[in-house]
Amino acid sequence: MSNTHLVLQGVSLGYGGRVVLEHISLTVERGEFLALLGPNGAGKTTLLRGILGLIPVLAGRIEYGFDRLVNPPGYVPQRETLDPIFPLTVFEVVLMGTYARLSPLRPVGRRQRQIAATCLEQVGLADLAQRPFWALSGGQKQRVLIARALAVEPEILMLDEPTSGVDPGASAAIMELISRLNRDHGLTVILVSHHLRLVRSLVRSVIWIEGGRAVKGVTEAMLASERVSDIFGTLTGTE
Amino acid sequence: MNTLFEILHPDFLLRQALIGSVLVGLVCPLVGVYFVLRRMIFLGVALPQLSAAGIACSFFVYRVLVGPHQHFELTERGVAMIGSFAFTLVGLLVLAALERYKETVEARIGITYAVAAAATILFVAADPGADAHMVSLLKGDILATTSASLSVLIGVFSLIVLLLFAFRKEFLLVSFDRDLAVVFRKRVGLWDSLLYLVIGVTISLGVITAGPLVTFGFLTLPPLTARLITHRMLTFSLVAAVLGATTAFIGFYCAYRFDLPLGPAEVAVASLVLLVIAAADAVRRVLERTRTL
Repeated sequence: MSNTHLVLQGVSLGYGGRVVLEHISLTVERGEFLALLGPNGAGKTTLLRGILGLIPVLAGRIEYGFDRLVNPPGYVPQRETLDPIFPLTVFEVVLMGTYARLSPLRPVGRRQRQIAATCLEQVGLADLAQRPFWALSGGQKQRVLIARALAVEPEILMLDEPTSGVDPGASAAIMELISRLNRDHGLTVILVSHHLRLVRSLVRSVIWIEGGRAVKGVTEAMLASERVSDIFGTLTGTE
Repeated sequence: MNTLFEILHPDFLLRQALIGSVLVGLVCPLVGVYFVLRRMIFLGVALPQLSAAGIACSFFVYRVLVGPHQHFELTERGVAMIGSFAFTLVGLLVLAALERYKETVEARIGITYAVAAAATILFVAADPGADAHMVSLLKGDILATTSASLSVLIGVFSLIVLLLFAFRKEFLLVSFDRDLAVVFRKRVGLWDSLLYLVIGVTISLGVITAGPLVTFGFLTLPPLTARLITHRMLTFSLVAAVLGATTAFIGFYCAYRFDLPLGPAEVAVASLVLLVIAAADAVRRVLERTRTL
């Protein structure tokens, strides 16, 4: 496991006993940048949620090359899952990432505030720290959530549709930011996306999910396959 | 002005009732913040009524098993507290466990309210020793607050405030982003349970002290008002608590000055404050929109 971040062996995942994905076996190496791709409803988010421990593994096993309690992954959810009724500033949202390493009764201190400030700088939003989170644009909110994931100080970053509902310019900037974090900081990145054009030039590996199965391969080879090209054609037509 | 001086005088006859009122106004909104944020406001209607049903049930059972209790004694409050807390907590846990079935949430809460209201009346009707004092206790009789019951109120509410502030980052995380809390391997079930326990105790004590109407009013109105004027979590909680305590004091003043029933006067003042601030917020939004056009 030294150079391996994740190993999935014969994993089946689903909801309420209904199997969505089965017999998934693959490995993720440290520093890898990979995308989970596939048609809508194929189970991309299900696989990500399974890896994150948000849904139970129905069969098989997932081995982690890191201690999830001491060093949890950075997680960027789909921002629609968060409720705008919460009165939170940008800084408060980012600070939440530092809670990962804080035990109960241990208050947020200077170190946590410093980490949050640094992470906001990394995503280029230091100036907006005191703005209400919900007043930001879609792209800015997504950057804040990436900063929150970085505040965990993770080795692995997992993002669920980070460019969903974001305009093309902001989407490209977000993907460039994620790519930079992978390149410069050696972060392992797993992201779910259906924006194939954006992803294909940046990621090195692709996990193609379809019909309850997942296949991993190098981006160029995966995208060149006839079957995937057919589906890509369909999807890019709808983008 | 004379009335104000009279109320604030250390020898004021209803001083304990005043302190009790302000305490309920201060602490209920701190818990109510989570009702509003977790979109559980309707629960705030059903649970105080369930608490009242618990009080009526406990008196009925006590009367049948032990015998009549003495009014204004700690035993009476103790019996009421046990019934109120048991019903509130069980109701809260059952309703929270069923929370995932979103499509029937309103029906469940409506049924809980109707059943609890009917059960309250039936328990009182079945109790051979039920009298006017007991009925007033069910509605919350803050004017009957004794120094002993006030001490219990101060002690328990202090603990509630301490817990809410000590574990505010845990309560915020499980309320705002439950998935992230799971990814962080936090004990989500434990923090939810602790929050429900805090809510249950606060509602039980609130209902015994001030009644279901005031408890529901202060659980919801000050946090809804504070949400309109704050943009960060800590100030949201603090402003809600300060608004609750202030409106409770003003409500008490109005009730004493104009000889009004205390609970409705307090809720009316809290509602008025919400209306004024909501109107001011709406005007501000319109002006902002006009400026950007």
